[in-house]
Amino acid sequence: MRGREFLEKLGFVDPKLVEEAGRRPRRARRRLWLGAAAAVLVLAFTASALLWPRGSGETPDPMGGVEAVALAAYPEMAPYPDENAFAGEDGAFDSDGFMEVFRAWRESQQAQLEQGADYAGSLSDFYAAALPVFLTGEEGENRVFSPLNVYFALGMLAELTDGESRGQILDLLGQEDMESLRSQAAALWNASYCDDGATVTILASSLWLREEVPFIQETLDTLAETYYASTYRGDLGSEAVNEALRAWINEQTGGLLEDQAADLTLDPDTVLALAATICYRTKWANEFREENTAPGTFHAPDGDVTCDFLHQSGTDTYYWGDRFSAIGRWLDDGGTMWFLLPDEGVSPEELLAGGEAAAFFLAGRDWEQSKRLIVNQALPKFDIAGEADLMEGLRALGVTDVFDSGRADFSPMTEAYEGIYVSQVKHAARVAIDEEGVTAAAYTVMDAAGSDMPPEEEVDFVADRPFLFAVTGPSGQLLFAGVVNQPV
Amino acid sequence: MDDRGIITLYLARNQRAVAETKEKYGGRLRLLGRRLIEDEETVEECENDTYLQAWNAIPPHQPWDYLFAFLGRIMRHAVLNACAARRCRKRAAALTELTAEMEQCIPSPSDTAGEVDGILLGEAVSAYLRTLPEEQRVMFLRRYWYFDSVREVARYCAASESKVKSALRRMREGLRTYLMKEGYQL
Repeated sequence: MRGREFLEKLGFVDPKLVEEAGRRPRRARRRLWLGAAAAVLVLAFTASALLWPRGSGETPDPMGGVEAVALAAYPEMAPYPDENAFAGEDGAFDSDGFMEVFRAWRESQQAQLEQGADYAGSLSDFYAAALPVFLTGEEGENRVFSPLNVYFALGMLAELTDGESRGQILDLLGQEDMESLRSQAAALWNASYCDDGATVTILASSLWLREEVPFIQETLDTLAETYYASTYRGDLGSEAVNEALRAWINEQTGGLLEDQAADLTLDPDTVLALAATICYRTKWANEFREENTAPGTFHAPDGDVTCDFLHQSGTDTYYWGDRFSAIGRWLDDGGTMWFLLPDEGVSPEELLAGGEAAAFFLAGRDWEQSKRLIVNQALPKFDIAGEADLMEGLRALGVTDVFDSGRADFSPMTEAYEGIYVSQVKHAARVAIDEEGVTAAAYTVMDAAGSDMPPEEEVDFVADRPFLFAVTGPSGQLLFAGVVNQPV
Repeated sequence: MDDRGIITLYLARNQRAVAETKEKYGGRLRLLGRRLIEDEETVEECENDTYLQAWNAIPPHQPWDYLFAFLGRIMRHAVLNACAARRCRKRAAALTELTAEMEQCIPSPSDTAGEVDGILLGEAVSAYLRTLPEEQRVMFLRRYWYFDSVREVARYCAASESKVKSALRRMREGLRTYLMKEGYQL
């Protein structure tokens, strides 16, 4: 064989790789956001009544209003270029002009994604432990949570604690000390962040401080620098602060969690509240065609319900395990939404308890049992939200001292109070999918094929009974996971 | 129209399929051709040949998720054939450079042609490329699949030309070693 022939036969390279190499400019056509996912976790810290507060037993006067002490400044990203602006009427493309803008975008995107090697290695154990705990609940209910959101809230909690309280959190997150936690958290935050006009992924955090409490500035500075946390000060427990906190959450999550935030109030004894959110908006790489959407029957635990199913057929990678089958749909930002369907007679809870669900979501495309097939997908449109108090779950994962006023050590937060403990850990999340996007989205579906021959075998993937899902971002992190028992 | 709609037209033997394909991908296919052929008429011939072959190939093929890659492979074939047949002197230098670089990937270049099935070779090269970081894969394919010049690859990947050149050289050597290790007789 000579070079000329070799060059020609390179034409048979996996089409997915070819698309990857030509993908960036084509992505510009999909600019609108249509789906979104969001989560919030609010931790409230209360001082126990017995020791409250040092030197004065009186409740401070309500001041009303909230003062913004420090506002987080997020990295600036170059906007994603609009390819259409560079295309002439005759089909000619101003590639020089486009490349100039594209290069600026790519540089800023790479700068965010490249955060050094293996920063996320230890997270697999945390995800594997957290998934069964936070996704198992009342039978027949939908459940959804954001593992990455919980990670950031725990990271910030570790900053506010010391001694065994901190040690328990570090153990759960698989970190030896605060230095390694900080470098991991900063890398994760930056690798996950995207706000380029085409995709939005923002992990926002805020601290809400009781006015008269002298907090330790160094700790607040660390939270601002490592976790991009904004700081507000006010009369915690007052309606003004509750309103401000709700408004902040709604702003950070694009209003997706308005219903959940509406019930959020802080107890008047609250010393500090910490809110962490994640907002994610992107689209499917290959959208579903609206005319293919048709009503169908979903066999929910409480009985059959009728809902709209999204349909698409095409060559895809089909995954399976002993008790499940699964597919992964690319999202527009390079992430993936995974659908894991338990075999008939097997419940999502059994796959969570058996560890298969976590093992699959963490392996993703590296899962061995996979095959290229023509997959006829039928997925129910859903919009599910979940609210939960994570306190019991965190206790089950070994984080106990922070909830016990006699054992919690919050000395890095303030030395003015004793007996501070975490009195509330409220988590809310919502994920929705439709024809055009998730609350997540992606590109090419091609995976392992080396030729253009379509596979001969065909398989149906019909999610018409309870199933699990997960959304992984372009950096591979688990942004959302959930169980759909009732799509409507 | 999206790819699914276009392929549905092909499957229904509706001739609008060709017009829709041309509207959506004509620009990109011509761009591919112009990288090696300066003569616009020849580029158009290659493009039209691509549509004809796609019309004949779908069905049985159903490239639902990779229509452009499917068309591009046909276009590349047409362009390389045109270069050989017409001795496109204007861009001969570009092709000579590309084929010389490709020879460095072949464990033992010989004049024996057609021994290796394209699909198998495509699979082997894909497997090698998957071992590389995305940026390097993109560089390799921009250069050898899309026929970009080194300068264009550098701009596309926001890298210096020298970085692209050395990355390509390392990949050619890496691919050669990989093919030898995997036992490909090329």
